Amino acid sequence: MRPLHNLTAREQILLAACVAACIVFAIVSPYFGTIDNANTILRNSVELLLIGLGMTLLMAMGAIDVSIGIVLGVAAIVVGQSLLHGFHPLVVTMSGPIVGAILGIVTAVVVVLGRVPAIVGTLGLLGVYRAVIYFALGGQWLSGLPRDLTTIVTRSVFGIPVTYWVIVLVYFCVWIALRRTPFGLHLLATGGSEEKARLSGLSVIKIKFAAFVVSGALAGLAATFYVATYRNVEMTIGTTLALDAVAAVVLGGTRIQGGRCSLIGTMLGVLLLRILQNGLLLIGVPSLWQPVITGSLLIAVLSLEAIAGRFFNPKLSFGAKT
Amino acid sequence: MNILRLVNQTQLVAVFLIALWIILLVGLAMLKPAALNPNMVTSVLQFSTILALVSLGQSLVILAGGAGIDLSVGGTVSLSAILGMLLLKAGVPAALLPVICIVSGLLLGMGNGILVTRLGIKPLIATLATFFVYSGLALALTRGAAQPGVPDLMLNWGRGITFGIPLPFLTLVIPAFLTVGIILTTTAWGRWIYAIGANELSTKLVGIPVDRTRFILYSISGGLAGTAGFVTLAWLGSGRPNVGQNLELESLTAAMLGGFAIFGGRGNIVGVFAAVILLVTLKTALLQMNVNTVWQLGIVGVLLISVLLLDQLSQRSR
Repeated sequence: MRPLHNLTAREQILLAACVAACIVFAIVSPYFGTIDNANTILRNSVELLLIGLGMTLLMAMGAIDVSIGIVLGVAAIVVGQSLLHGFHPLVVTMSGPIVGAILGIVTAVVVVLGRVPAIVGTLGLLGVYRAVIYFALGGQWLSGLPRDLTTIVTRSVFGIPVTYWVIVLVYFCVWIALRRTPFGLHLLATGGSEEKARLSGLSVIKIKFAAFVVSGALAGLAATFYVATYRNVEMTIGTTLALDAVAAVVLGGTRIQGGRCSLIGTMLGVLLLRILQNGLLLIGVPSLWQPVITGSLLIAVLSLEAIAGRFFNPKLSFGAKT
Repeated sequence: MNILRLVNQTQLVAVFLIALWIILLVGLAMLKPAALNPNMVTSVLQFSTILALVSLGQSLVILAGGAGIDLSVGGTVSLSAILGMLLLKAGVPAALLPVICIVSGLLLGMGNGILVTRLGIKPLIATLATFFVYSGLALALTRGAAQPGVPDLMLNWGRGITFGIPLPFLTLVIPAFLTVGIILTTTAWGRWIYAIGANELSTKLVGIPVDRTRFILYSISGGLAGTAGFVTLAWLGSGRPNVGQNLELESLTAAMLGGFAIFGGRGNIVGVFAAVILLVTLKTALLQMNVNTVWQLGIVGVLLISVLLLDQLSQRSR
């Protein structure tokens, strides 16, 4: 999309951080620098790449969805069940995005039409969806699902698995929508200042509604890939995905107040997170530390941003908010 | 005129909550009459202690506005309890256990305060990150195992009951609510908090230290969560790394049910107190009827959303 020298400073730093992390881990651990492991990292990034794209749209307009990981869970159950019942592959594949979009509509109704702050509304929905997952699974894992879906997504086209073609396609669609259509411009305007966007005659409600539905549909698509890869659905599905997505989006240089975002930055942020998680696991850090590390990274980046912002902008007084 | 509206609002919330509570009790009496006995009062109060302390802190943070929210309360409860037990194991005298819990809670709260007020990070992102750091640390430091070995003296206090009221409730919750209530209604500092929540810009212009006040409120929220962490130790007899699970959702629901406005500047802690009792009664009733705890989470979520939607509707129709 953009050549390397066209990346912003933030994106170049992220790319350098990814490369540096790879080099360090490859030196420390003999298992890190193998083709197999690279495949594992890419494989583990698929869901987060898709959810990250949706979260970028949400955060670009100053919203957030902390229930997104559990939305993936609910959609995964539907995909798994339709797989078990032996529906047509097309139905199975599409059930994920459709369920995701429906849940996105639910979120949008609560948050956008109900004018409830996104964080509180989605936190409430998180509790509801958790109960739904428990009800649907009945306390047991959905496991040993048929291979039908797996063979579809791992089939190679021109030497690259279908999964990655889908990600490239989705990335391209989101990029076009964000950078080449009025919708993208309006979304960023809404994030910059909702009041001004409304006064300029934009239908802020429609824009926000659409963004939530797209984000839900992407989480549902991620659920399809999740089921295809792991062929089971567990009770704790998606619990840390929302934090990972927020961290990746913030790392990528999207402004948390909204109004500015970077899709390529989010992609690099996802890769950096997954490289760190994989590498730390290989050098013997227990996986229980992962949320601690992701959270600390998020705090560190935001703090550095805040301090740097004050340093380069003397007009801002101590503690002032932009 | 403004104060008149405030009083009406409080009464409205109180009537609403009491009505809900009576419906709940009548429902329980019809479905399972055996569950309604004096022991239930004690057990409801025992379970309320932790939620009441945490909700009080959460309400204060929300009251001061500026999109204030403390999502890290659950993590703070777990981590302060775990830190207390780990230091006890490392040889710190047992008498210091309550101090360690409260101070570590206070420090964790100050961490939130620094991120939000000094660095100007959006509260929801800052406390979401610290939530994962705190609760993750509690799990990682213990590898998920409960830490036993709370001294008997503290167990006696944590499980003690006088006149049917659990001691932690009597010695912590009632004084805490009374103190905060008096501060909020009679002192200038208390009125500042309402003012900051109602109109940040004007309060800044008249010279009220907005950032310092909010910093103190985040610290208080952490300190109260640390106190709740100590209560879990004294009650359960061991430090459990996931003891604060879902407290962020429940405390938010209690604050919203209690009539606090999500955007700040409006609310009364009497309402929060009533909401906590209502929520815990609901949970106890569900427990009596053998409903899984995950369902409780779903019901709390639905309650939170419906209260917010109702609040928005009533604001718009005014």
